[in-house]
Amino acid sequence: MNNGYEAVIGLETHAELSTDSKIYCDCKNAFGLEVNSQVCPICMGMPGTLPTLNEKVVDYAIMMGHALNCRINRVSKQDRKNYFYPDLPKAYQISQDDTPLCADGYVDIMVNGVERKIGVTRIHIEEDAGKLLHSDKFDGCSLVDLNRCGVPLIEIVSEPDLRSPEEAKVYLETLKSILQYLDICDCKMQEGSIRCDVNVSVHKIGEPFGTRTEMKNVNSFSAAVRGIEYEINRQISVLEAGGTISQETRRWDDVKGESVLMRSKEDAHDYRYFPEPDLRTIVVEQERIDDLKKRIPELPNRKILRYVKDWGVAQKDATFIAENIELAELFDSCMAKGRFSARAYTTWILGDLVKHLNETGKTVSQTKINADNLTDLVESIEKNVISNAGGKKVFAVLLNEDKKVSDLIEQLGLAQVSDTSELEKIADSVLAENEKSVNDYKNGKTNALGYLVGQCMKASKGKANPQMMKEIVLSKLG
Amino acid sequence: MEDKVNAYVTEDMENALKTAEDIDRRRSSGEQLGELAGIPVGIKDNISTKGLRTSCSSKMLENYVPPFNAFVVEKLKQAGVVITGKLNMDEFAMGSSTETSYFGVTRNPYDLDRIPGGSSGGSAAAVAAGEAVAAIGSDTGGSIRQPASYCGVVGLKPTYGAVSRFGLVAFASSLDQIGPITRTVEDAAMLQSAICGHDKMDATSVITEAKDYKAALTAGVKGVRIGIPKEYFGDGIDDNVKTAVMQAVKLLEQNGAVVKEISLPSTDYALSSYYIISSAEASSNLARYDGVKYGYRSENYDGLIDMYEKTRSEGFGDEVKRRIMLGTFVLSSGFYDAYYKKAKLLQRRISAEFSENFRDIDVIATPTVPSAAFKIGENFGDPVKMYATDICTVTINIAGLPAISVPCGYSVEGLPIGLQLIGDKFMEQKLLDTAYTYEKLVGGFRSPKL
Amino acid sequence: MNIDIRHIAKLSRLHISEENIPKFEKDMQDIVSMVEKLPDIDDDMILDESNAMTLREDKAVTGKYTREELMANAPQVKAGCLVVPKTVE
Repeated sequence: MNNGYEAVIGLETHAELSTDSKIYCDCKNAFGLEVNSQVCPICMGMPGTLPTLNEKVVDYAIMMGHALNCRINRVSKQDRKNYFYPDLPKAYQISQDDTPLCADGYVDIMVNGVERKIGVTRIHIEEDAGKLLHSDKFDGCSLVDLNRCGVPLIEIVSEPDLRSPEEAKVYLETLKSILQYLDICDCKMQEGSIRCDVNVSVHKIGEPFGTRTEMKNVNSFSAAVRGIEYEINRQISVLEAGGTISQETRRWDDVKGESVLMRSKEDAHDYRYFPEPDLRTIVVEQERIDDLKKRIPELPNRKILRYVKDWGVAQKDATFIAENIELAELFDSCMAKGRFSARAYTTWILGDLVKHLNETGKTVSQTKINADNLTDLVESIEKNVISNAGGKKVFAVLLNEDKKVSDLIEQLGLAQVSDTSELEKIADSVLAENEKSVNDYKNGKTNALGYLVGQCMKASKGKANPQMMKEIVLSKLG
Repeated sequence: MEDKVNAYVTEDMENALKTAEDIDRRRSSGEQLGELAGIPVGIKDNISTKGLRTSCSSKMLENYVPPFNAFVVEKLKQAGVVITGKLNMDEFAMGSSTETSYFGVTRNPYDLDRIPGGSSGGSAAAVAAGEAVAAIGSDTGGSIRQPASYCGVVGLKPTYGAVSRFGLVAFASSLDQIGPITRTVEDAAMLQSAICGHDKMDATSVITEAKDYKAALTAGVKGVRIGIPKEYFGDGIDDNVKTAVMQAVKLLEQNGAVVKEISLPSTDYALSSYYIISSAEASSNLARYDGVKYGYRSENYDGLIDMYEKTRSEGFGDEVKRRIMLGTFVLSSGFYDAYYKKAKLLQRRISAEFSENFRDIDVIATPTVPSAAFKIGENFGDPVKMYATDICTVTINIAGLPAISVPCGYSVEGLPIGLQLIGDKFMEQKLLDTAYTYEKLVGGFRSPKL
Repeated sequence: MNIDIRHIAKLSRLHISEENIPKFEKDMQDIVSMVEKLPDIDDDMILDESNAMTLREDKAVTGKYTREELMANAPQVKAGCLVVPKTVE
C-alpha cells in the first residue's frame, strides 16, 4: 500500500433480525410505519415495566454463530450498557458484555480470487435504539420516534484481520449474503437493517500495529469502503507529517466524504456495564443448539469457493450466482443432473434470466424457469436440434409459461433442418442465384463464404443447421 | 385521622366508593364473591395503577399517571378489593423513615412525633391507624418489615420471585419484592395468596403453584426448629428490643418449638453488600427519568445535557441523588471489581450460609429493627446512621428469602417492637404458621390511641 | 478514598451546585467508607445455570395502546413525537 504502510481493519456489524416481535416486548418489529405507532410501555421504558427475551432472537443469533463457525455459549447472560441519549428510553441498552452467545469463529471470503479467513471475535444480542428526526423547521428541537426501540440486533465483531477497503467490502457482502441465506435479516441497507462501526489503524509493514480509531455512522457498504479509504489516507498523512494517531471516535460524513472527531479518548464513555437484574440466565439446551445447526444450508461463501474451484466458474460470476439464493439453487440443481458443463448453464442464468429479472423485478421463483426445462433447452442446443437464436425464443416463452421445450420447438417451428438432401437443394439454388459471389470466392475473396451461407440460412427461414449448411456450401464451392 | 398521619399521597374516594357499591350490588344479587371482595386496601405509591397517579413520592413523577396496572393491582381488582388510594413512602423507596417523601413525612400513629419507618411508611401507618384494612408495600432492604415493626402491624416480604414485579417502579430490581402489610397474620396470608403466582411479564417471577395460605394456616409450633443467630443480637441492638424478641422466642419454645443458637458470620458484610448492589441497580433504573417521555422537565435549560442535569437535579431529592451517585461510583471504570463485583460475590456467600442453616432449622428469629421508632428529624441528614437501621432486614433481601415481621411487645416509651421470622425460599407457609401461632398466644394487633 | 464528586455527578447527569459539593462529598465518603468493609474474595462470577429463564414466544400483539395514551405523560409532544433540545451540532 501507500509508502509501505499496511492498514488493519476490524468491523463491528449490527444486523436487525427479522422476527415478528421486538426483542423484549411483543410490539411488532416493523419498519416505516407511522411515528411512535409500534411502541408500548415496555419499549418506551415506562416506570415499572420489565423485559422478556424473545426466543427467536436467541435462535437466530445461534444460527449466525453456526454459520460463522463460532463456539456457542450454552449459558450466557445479558448486561446493561448505561448512557443517556434521547433515543434510548431506559437510558441503558440491554446487551451482552462478557458472555456473548457466540464466540471465536471465522468466515472464509474470496478477494480477487484469493481465499481469506477472517476471524469473528463474537456475536451478541442486543436491542436497537429509536430514531431522532432533525429539521430546521423544528425550532432548535429534535423529535424522537421510538418505533425502532427494542428491534432485535445481533452485533458481529470481527478480528482485526482485514487489510484493505476491498477486503472489508467483500467481508460485509459475505455477511449480508449469509444473513439472507439464513433468512434472519432483511438486509435492506436503506432501512438501516445492517450498519457497521469501523476500527482502522495503519503501520509500516514489519512494524507493530498502530493506534486505532473508531468510526461510527457508517450506513452502507460503499460508505464503509469510502470511510475506510479516507481514514487510511488521513492516518498515513498524519504519520508522514510526523504526527501521531490518537485513540478516538470519529463520525463518518458520507455526504462530505470525510470523518470528523466525535470524542477523544479522555471523553470516552464509561458505560458502567453490569448484569441485567430483570432477566435471568440464558440457558440453551445442547439439543436445540444442534438442531439449529442442522438448519444451516450451504452458505454462499462456501458455494463461491466450490463454483470457482470445482466447476471453473469465474469468481465474479460465482459470487453473483451464490449471493442470490434462488439463482444458486437453480444452478446447483442443474449441475446436479451431471449432464452439461457449468458454462452451458451460466450463459443462460447470467444472461437472459438475470436480464429478465432485472427488467421485471421478479425473483427466480416468480418465473417458470427450473432445472428441468433449462436442461432440456441446453440439450436441444447442444444436440443441434435448435439454434442459439431459436433457444432464446424458447427461453422467452419458458420464463412465463409452463411448457415442454420439445413442444415449444415444434409450435414455434424452430427445429433445425439437418437433412443433407434438403440442405443441398437450398445450397444449389442459392449458389445458382449468386454467381458473382461464387466467383468472388473462387478468386480468393474468402469473406464471400459468409455471405453465401447467410443467404442459405435466410432461404431456410433460419431453420437450417448453420454448421451443416456451411459445410455443404464449402464442399459445393470445391 | 389522615390530617394527623398523612399516610396517603393520593386518595381515590370516588373510585373506591364506586367499586364498593358495585361489590355490594353483585353480592346482593347472589353472586359468589371471594373473601377479599369489598375490603379496602391501600397501595404504595410505587406500584402502578392505571389512571391513578403513581408518584413514588417524588417531584419527578408528581404528575405521572400510568397507562397500565401492575400485575398485583390486576390481581387485587379481580379479587374485588376496593383500592383506597396511593400511600406515602420514601422517595423512590429510598429511605427508612418516609422523611424523604416529596409530599411530606408520614407520622407514626403510636406517636405522631415519630417516624413510621420506611420506605413503606404510609402503608404501615395507614393500616395501624385504620385508614385501610390492609396495604400493599414493597421491600428492597426492609421497606415492608421495618415500618410494620415501627407501627405495630404485620409485614410480609415474600421470597424473591414469588410476586410479580411488573408495574412496581424499580428501585433495585434484584432485591425488590412486593408484599402485604396487615393487622393480622391471617390477613397477610389472605393477601399474599391473592397477589402471588407466576407472571410471564416478569422474567424473574418463579413458576409456582397457586397457594391458599390462609386456608392452610395452622396454629402450633410443636417441633418447629427455630434458629437464633447470635450476630443479630449484638451491641447495636437496643435492650428493649432484645428482651422482647427473646421473650417471644421463649414463648414459642414453651409451646413446643425447638430453639437453637446458630451463626451467620457474613452478616457483618450484608449492609455493605446491600448498599452497593441496591445503589448500583438504582443508578441505572432511575436513569430513565430524564424529562423526555414522562415526568418532570426543568423549565429553563440550554441544550440537551443541561436539560438532563437540571431536570434530574430539580426532580430528585438529596437521598435519591446520593444513591444514584453511590451506584454510579461503584459501577464506574476502575471501581467495579472492588465494589460491585465483590458485593455480588458476598451475596452468594451470604445465600450459601442461609441455605446451610436451613438444612436443620425451619425458621430464624431475629429483631426486625435494632430499636423502636425514632423521632422525626433525628437521623435525617446522617445517611450512615440512617442506613444502620436496616441492619437486620437487608440480609434477607440479599439472600432472596421470605421474612415476616409480627408485633412482639412495646418499648418503655410504649412504642411497638417487631419480631422478624425468616424462612427458606418459598417457605412462606411455615413463616405464616409460626407468626400465627405467636399472634394467637399474645393476642395480636392493638390499635394506637390517636 | 477520594471521590471525584464532579465526575460522578456528570456521569449521573446530576447538577450539584458548588456550595453543595462539600456536603455530597462528605456524605459519599462516609458511605463509601462504610461499604468498603468487604473481605477479599477471589472467586469468579460463575453463571448460575439453575437460574435459567423461560423465553417468550415470538408473536407480535398490536393495538394494545394508542399513541395518545402512551404520550399523555410526555412534557412536550409534536407531530406524534417526543420533543428534545436539538441533538446535532
